[in-house]
Amino acid sequence: MSYNVLIVDDSRSMRKVIWKILRLLRFELGECLEASNGQEALDILEGKWIDLILADVNMPVMDGVGFIRSLREKNICRDTPVVFVTTEANEDRLNQLMDLGASGYIRKPFRPEEMGAFLSRIMGETDGFKMGTSVEGCDF
Amino acid sequence: MVLKWEPVLKDVISEILETMFFAMVEFQDCGRGDRCFDYESEIELQNHEGRIAISLQLSEGFARMITAGFLGIEENQVKDEDLRDSVKELVNMIGGGYHARINDAAWKLGIPRVWKIGSDPTHRAQAAVRLDFSFFEEPAGSAALSYLAG
Repeated sequence: MSYNVLIVDDSRSMRKVIWKILRLLRFELGECLEASNGQEALDILEGKWIDLILADVNMPVMDGVGFIRSLREKNICRDTPVVFVTTEANEDRLNQLMDLGASGYIRKPFRPEEMGAFLSRIMGETDGFKMGTSVEGCDF
Repeated sequence: MVLKWEPVLKDVISEILETMFFAMVEFQDCGRGDRCFDYESEIELQNHEGRIAISLQLSEGFARMITAGFLGIEENQVKDEDLRDSVKELVNMIGGGYHARINDAAWKLGIPRVWKIGSDPTHRAQAAVRLDFSFFEEPAGSAALSYLAG
């Protein structure tokens, strides 16, 4: 099974790193979509089927809290796991994300294996996403 | 907030560089270094009483090397845009790591900035204690933390 994934992060480098890690984890990628803030992500999500959203919290224009709140208010991607990949340390803000329906968060810095274990659980992959030794189809 | 920032920042920088940028640095004793580097990035934490600026200066060579490590590419493939973005992400993670150690919900993390240092460096460290670090005995960069009014 392949997954359509949306990465929402204002850092182009961080988006590249996450794609690379997903490929290293042998995550079966379908459509790969990117947005640099919450508003761009909302525009992309209109009419799209997405299996997983990985989003930053601190972003210009619309941050992660505004993004997930809008998703819920507009009833978009109601059943899609939304995982925040963030440097955010403010417990109140992290709890707010969870209250708004986030599936969880991964704190930066993190090792690829940690992301693999986390995503295996979120996506219900019983065999788990495990690290490979090369990145196939990686175009950067 | 009373926190001796130097050891905290050392821990945070080491952890981030080792985990995500695959580089181990050595810190020198704190002092007023007079060396200027090539890139500067900064992030602010703020609450209702004031702001903290965490500022980072890096040599171009070190910035290029850690960008390559971060993105998993060769150094000669690193574009200027990638370098700036990765240095910005580094200071973003450092700000988040420092914020986590403060453990005070009142502080909010700002949006990081990065720029190439011109003839008139604006490193906050010019007026503060700075934390210099090296990579294999080559000066690699310095970090500084400044308390700002308002």
